[in-house]
Amino acid sequence: MDELKFRREAYENPNRQDDEFLASMHESSERTAFVNDLKLLDKKLEAALKVEVPEDLEAKLLLNQQLHQHQVERRKTGFTLALVASIAFIAGISFTLLRLAPVDLGQHALAHVYHEEMAMKSERNISVDEVNTQLASLTSLNHARFTEQPGRVLYSTYCDFQGVKSIHLVMQGKQGKVTLFIVPLEDRMVLEEAFADNRYQGMGFKSDNAYVLLVGEDVTDLNFVRDEVKESFI
Amino acid sequence: MFSVIRNKKPKKSVNRDMLNKQRRYDSLVRALHGDLFRYAFWLCGDKHIAEDITQETFLRAWRSLESLKDDKAAKAWLITILRRENARRFERKQFDYSDVEQADIADHISASSEESMEQHMLRRQIAKLEAEYREPLILQVIGGFSGEEIADILDLNRNTVMTRLFRARNQLKEILDDTQTRGRSNG
Repeated sequence: MDELKFRREAYENPNRQDDEFLASMHESSERTAFVNDLKLLDKKLEAALKVEVPEDLEAKLLLNQQLHQHQVERRKTGFTLALVASIAFIAGISFTLLRLAPVDLGQHALAHVYHEEMAMKSERNISVDEVNTQLASLTSLNHARFTEQPGRVLYSTYCDFQGVKSIHLVMQGKQGKVTLFIVPLEDRMVLEEAFADNRYQGMGFKSDNAYVLLVGEDVTDLNFVRDEVKESFI
Repeated sequence: MFSVIRNKKPKKSVNRDMLNKQRRYDSLVRALHGDLFRYAFWLCGDKHIAEDITQETFLRAWRSLESLKDDKAAKAWLITILRRENARRFERKQFDYSDVEQADIADHISASSEESMEQHMLRRQIAKLEAEYREPLILQVIGGFSGEEIADILDLNRNTVMTRLFRARNQLKEILDDTQTRGRSNG
């Protein structure tokens, strides 16, 4: 190995251990001294490069990671919470919008009659006072009431017309029973004067303060009850 | 019955994975934080910035610990992350550092009483060395990397790395010999 190459290699790495380098190092004492000189420089360099490491750095690094992990977990729960909240929000909005949608009173009345089959089986005798008490509790009806007993009332309860509290009565017609709904006036209600499906007939009219809907199997019954109600209900 | 078993198993293994990851991270920090801090210090020349860079580096390492397949390569992997973090620092601050920084470095390395004058002088000279010469030298001397490994980390070819190592030692030795002879003639 010529001098130039040897020196170059020594400068590149004085600690190299390959046979060729070691052999040419031992060729002369000058070369050995030269390499030892460089090795000494490397020792000094190593000492100089090893600056003091802050004592608490290790602890800081470990703590930092723990905090980071903690934050990631919190962010995850935060995200879940946000997701749940927005779902609840959407549900709330759509529910409100649904309630604002126009209500077809006739169809609703029919559905209600089917839903409360047991109302038709009631055979009680309910006084006009009892019905009036119930009517009075619905403030949106503006004190609408019956002035006298409107024939025989077999059943009376509150019911829900798309979120509007209403009164559900069953009255005795000439032959069969007639279901009567008294619904407070509201803009989104759509009233049909006559409606029907294959089993029931229905009719509706508007009094001063309320919609009145009648549902029964026979038209003569309906007309009978309607006349009675129109006379007594104000 | 089934759902209980199904729910329990993955939870356990997730916990075990987390624990393994934690242990791996802890041992990396213990074994390598000193070398990384020193490397960062010689890159930026400031102890506080070096600490910040080291922290950023380990945080990034934690996030992508899964991508480190071979633990023997951990040091080179961490140094690669650290160099990227250091470069990011320059992207953020868009003014020219080269002149200011060199002067800064010299000031930051103060001679403490137990530190020999020679070591203090050597530190100043290392700091004054151009970064492209300094980096391979640090990787070789305190990182213990071979020429190929340094070439890999710095994304250079091996011959360039060897040339730079040669020049770095050459420059330092010349300065050192110079001051020694001058010292002698003065004394």
